[in-house]
Amino acid sequence: MDSYHEFNMSNGNTAKQLRVGATSVSVLEGGAGRPLLVLHPAGGAGNWLPYHETLARRYRVIAPDCPGFGHSADSDLVDGVDDLAFLYADLIEQLDLKDLIVLGSSFGGWVAAELAVLVARSAISKLILVDAIGLRIPEAPIADLFAMGPAEKMAALFHDRTIAARLFPAEPDIDTIMAFYRDEMAFAKFAWSPFCCNPKLERRLHRITVPTLILWGEHDAVVPRQHAERYAARIPQAQLQIVPDAGHAVLMERPEEAIRAIEQFVGT
Amino acid sequence: MQFNLFHLMPYPYLPDDFDAKYDTASLTLPNGIFDPKRGVALYNRYLDELEYAEQLGFDAVAVNEHHQSAYGIMPSPNIVIGALARRTSHIRLCALGNAIALRDHPLRVAEEIAMLDNITDGRVISGFVRGIGFECYAQSVSPTRSIARFREAHDLIVKAWESREPFQWISENYEFRYVNVWPRSVQQPHPPIWVPGTGSFETMQWVAQHRYSYLSVYAPTRVIKSWFDGFRAAAKECGYVPAPEQIGFMVPIYVAETDERAHEEGRQHVEWLYHKALKIRTEYYFPAGYLSAKSFRGMIGSGAKPFNQLSYEEILDMGYAVVGSAATVREKLKALEAYLGFGNLCAVLQIGDMPHERTMKNMELFARQVMPAFAGNRH
Repeated sequence: MDSYHEFNMSNGNTAKQLRVGATSVSVLEGGAGRPLLVLHPAGGAGNWLPYHETLARRYRVIAPDCPGFGHSADSDLVDGVDDLAFLYADLIEQLDLKDLIVLGSSFGGWVAAELAVLVARSAISKLILVDAIGLRIPEAPIADLFAMGPAEKMAALFHDRTIAARLFPAEPDIDTIMAFYRDEMAFAKFAWSPFCCNPKLERRLHRITVPTLILWGEHDAVVPRQHAERYAARIPQAQLQIVPDAGHAVLMERPEEAIRAIEQFVGT
Repeated sequence: MQFNLFHLMPYPYLPDDFDAKYDTASLTLPNGIFDPKRGVALYNRYLDELEYAEQLGFDAVAVNEHHQSAYGIMPSPNIVIGALARRTSHIRLCALGNAIALRDHPLRVAEEIAMLDNITDGRVISGFVRGIGFECYAQSVSPTRSIARFREAHDLIVKAWESREPFQWISENYEFRYVNVWPRSVQQPHPPIWVPGTGSFETMQWVAQHRYSYLSVYAPTRVIKSWFDGFRAAAKECGYVPAPEQIGFMVPIYVAETDERAHEEGRQHVEWLYHKALKIRTEYYFPAGYLSAKSFRGMIGSGAKPFNQLSYEEILDMGYAVVGSAATVREKLKALEAYLGFGNLCAVLQIGDMPHERTMKNMELFARQVMPAFAGNRH
């Protein structure tokens, strides 16, 4: 994770605590322009990553840490992804974000989908779901990241293991391990059971009437392609785009290709 | 000293290629390995051993709950106690314990324990546990909810035992609008409650506050010392000194005619327990949230080796098992009693893949040549 921290510091981006109702949320912000709410995956919250930086060249990037993840305190008031959707609906109102684009990957994609179902037309103008969990498709189960050791997990998340090896130290120090553990605890709170999904989400996706990009790593070994296809089939204005030579962690593994697709979609 | 025979009921017939082929004896070890024909003989053999404990003068037998594991084939300790209830007449029968945090319907435990307490005329001891990490996977219970569920389920069960009127129960994890448990337990207000701990300070405090019995699980002797000291300190904060039987020490023990013979016979079984039965993937044992961040940091900082990487010598040196002649075992247990301070010994005398005859011999030597040395301070 050294590269995370270095990038964080070199960028000068510091987290600020934002009070949203009764909950305190740590938010990273950078760039200017059209607002882009970036919802993090289950791991690595609280870090200003290269893809944030690239997106910040064109957009005002607002990247909150869900309670319990990254630098946000855990909250008893937020113990389901529905609570997260309401939290971010409040945050959008509070920050008075207009013409908002919402981008969520993996766990963040689930949160983004729930948020878009909740607020529908009024608050979001475009939605991007990247290798999102959230749907229950029994014949295409999501890989159990909880049960994997660190090496297995990296192999599952990245198609190109040399990229994974570059991003993550082979022997992390105890603080790095604890940061991972904290994120994983928060992920377990939201996604242990029902496993990585809201069984009711699929029947509500018709409420997402904004243009939606479903972006998926060609070789995603965590969330099977059927999930991308199901999202694309149930969201009325959705288009599915595959990022070649990428695994689950598309935005970290192929940031240029992924962001090109995102910019193209937003520009249309 | 109270002497309890603690039986784990392991499944000893693992395939020859177990070490090479499987990285765990729990959760995902295929159940095709379990042979029901052998199961018939095995369960009945283990029940014979538990029944024999009464003849040998043990105060109690204790059995536990584990799911999807060759380490222990008792998904329900209450069934084992039910099987022993009418085959024994005075020995106490301890469920150590029911994994109440795994239950969506904890009142079933309140009912079963109360039934058993009636059938046995008040011989039941009710242990409660959270269930271990891999059981959070096996029972689809988020490890992050395990502690809260344990406490709520406990409060509900105890209230159900103590209440004389129907009541409504609403808590974060449980909602029961009509709680009215029949039968009532024979022991009033309820059977004794024992709770094993693994070093969490919150657990020590909680057990001390409720004046229950606190029991250790597999750990090095010096670590158990810190747990028992922590428990005594927590009791002191509550304004009392714990009774001897409120502190329980659990340990596998093998006694033979001589030290040499004890090691010769016992070694393979002790190794089987730690190297095979307790072999488990770290992620199965400690799913995220099962340990608090503080406890997790302590665990990785301790540098403790996984059980299956401990040599036999390390197992003995660190105090994970006691092996020797009766004289040696007496001496070691006396020293442990003096150092740790416990009045309740939970002896695992069927260890790992130990066969029946050897188990019975171990039980006899322990009961006849070790227990009497502690007779002076028997409860």
